[in-house]
Amino acid sequence: MTALAHVLEPWHRSARATAGLYGHFIRLAFLKYLAYRLRYYTGVISYTIFVSGYYYLYTALFESRVPGPDGVATMGGLTVQEMVTYIAVGWIGRSFYFNNIARELMHQIQEGQIAMQLVKPFDVQAVMTFEAAGESAFRLLMFTLPISVVIVPLFGINLPEDPALLGWTVVSFILSLMVYSQINFLTGCLAFYMKNISGVLRAKMVSADFLNGLLIPFSFFPEWFQTAVGFLPFQAVGYIPVTIYLGKRPGNELWIALGIQAAWAVGLYLAGRVVWKRSVRTVIVQGG
Amino acid sequence: MSEPLIRVRDLTRDYRLMDKREGVMGGFVDLLRPRWRTLRAVEDVCFDIDPGEMVGYIGANGAGKSTTIKMLTGILTPTGGQVTVGGMVPWKQRRQYTRHIGAVFGQRTQLWWDLAVVESFRLLQKIYEVDDATYTRQMEIFDDLLGVNEFLHQPVRKLSLGQRMRCDLAAALLHRPRILFLDEPTIGLDVVAKENVRLFLKEIRDRDGVTVILTTHDLGDIEQLCDRVIIIDKGRVHYDGELDDLRQRTGHRVRLTVDLREPTTVAALEAAVSGLPVTWDQEEGLRHVAEFRRQDVAGAEVIKRLVNACPVSDLRLAEPDIEEIVREIYRDAKNGATAVSTNDGAAS
Repeated sequence: MTALAHVLEPWHRSARATAGLYGHFIRLAFLKYLAYRLRYYTGVISYTIFVSGYYYLYTALFESRVPGPDGVATMGGLTVQEMVTYIAVGWIGRSFYFNNIARELMHQIQEGQIAMQLVKPFDVQAVMTFEAAGESAFRLLMFTLPISVVIVPLFGINLPEDPALLGWTVVSFILSLMVYSQINFLTGCLAFYMKNISGVLRAKMVSADFLNGLLIPFSFFPEWFQTAVGFLPFQAVGYIPVTIYLGKRPGNELWIALGIQAAWAVGLYLAGRVVWKRSVRTVIVQGG
Repeated sequence: MSEPLIRVRDLTRDYRLMDKREGVMGGFVDLLRPRWRTLRAVEDVCFDIDPGEMVGYIGANGAGKSTTIKMLTGILTPTGGQVTVGGMVPWKQRRQYTRHIGAVFGQRTQLWWDLAVVESFRLLQKIYEVDDATYTRQMEIFDDLLGVNEFLHQPVRKLSLGQRMRCDLAAALLHRPRILFLDEPTIGLDVVAKENVRLFLKEIRDRDGVTVILTTHDLGDIEQLCDRVIIIDKGRVHYDGELDDLRQRTGHRVRLTVDLREPTTVAALEAAVSGLPVTWDQEEGLRHVAEFRRQDVAGAEVIKRLVNACPVSDLRLAEPDIEEIVREIYRDAKNGATAVSTNDGAAS
């Protein structure tokens, strides 16, 4: 025993150890999802069906469209090829950034398992963020790559004219992951205040896919709607990377778009910190 | 006199509950005008715990045990009062503080459900920054005492409850915490598994001098592990002291079980020991139970008179166990907490 048996000594985790610890969470999440890889094989099928559905829907719509003066039919400023690329890239991206940490947080709060996290000397929000990153690393390998191999040749998806845009799209999707996991963390925190947030989570998922621009491009909607959506974080998840891929953000607009995503990621992370601190201080952890 | 490690003063915690009205209409009214009630789960709890003590914290369901433990582990903020543990305030310096504690909540696990047990230990090594030498040594101890190596490479979800509990205990102690909180560590375990857990805890206490606070419904845990007990009821401390003193205080009630050869009325039994302060109770058929205090009556006297007067086939004399002593202490208290105020309407 120490000389001062009645005193607990302060401690400090070095930056190096912190990086090691949170890196370990990425690794563990990867291992965890590896145990459930079967789920993702079925995901490849369902995503392919989604994209096929939209493919036939939009090609049918474009066929009935009168071509413009240049002989090309467009809808909302997109040609049929761009439209199909829009949908395919959107879903391929979603296979990467999607995660369920809101649901996971809800279960932990409802069942009181969150107590086991709170008695450990780490930052729960950071842990969940890095677990989400681990999940996405797994998804990239087991979901995004296989689905790209199926979808890209199947629908004849072209690479961007400027190959650098492919790189920027990847960067943008990584930012999407950060924004999306923080949206999910914040939504999951609602479980501190409500008994069951399954309904909220469903509503969030559906409206997120819509407000992401994943189902219908924003350019189909009236001006005021596009302006309103611009104020929401969802367009920073799905819409921005796809428009980067399509080359719709020339010059400085690319930097602005990436900046908007980064700002949402940081802003939502900070908001999550505040909400989390408050919730843990004021709310009762159930059971136990 | 040394300083206490854990210092609890006037610790109080209120919960706000909604009183539901009856029926469908009541449900709608609740939406608009909820009725709140304040429930005081823990009230003015005070105690000190010295380094190296092993304290049993016991009480009925809802007495406030878990609420107290949650405040001591920093998960819950109290409504009033103070807690300092080794100079830290648990809920204010949660990350500093939790580095020094270990916790096992019997109903939950701190292990990663889908992964092999060893992955959880490796992660805990990182979380608590346990150096490799200490890690190896601790794991050897855990294997010696708990036999954890046997299932180190199995996923946690495939472990039996007993195995899982052994792993959870090891996980809580990997970083050699100064304080260990155990919330019902033997719940649901069979006799052998319980015994293993108790032996392990004794060994760890002797080895590391860890301070242990233990809540349990199993008084066997308390009898074997703790020198000191704190009994809480309706959120208040009812008893705080040595286990032996508790036995003394309740005055050594003795139970004499009497089996008769043929039916006899209670009146006849009472007559046989008339003049002695003995209370009778018929258990079933030919079995009767006499209760008396050892300081008032000698057991031999009661037995002699009974055997002479009644057709006795068998007799058994039993010392009370802790369970009975505690039951006596909180006999009148059925529900855990006391309502302190009711305010109707006022929604916030």
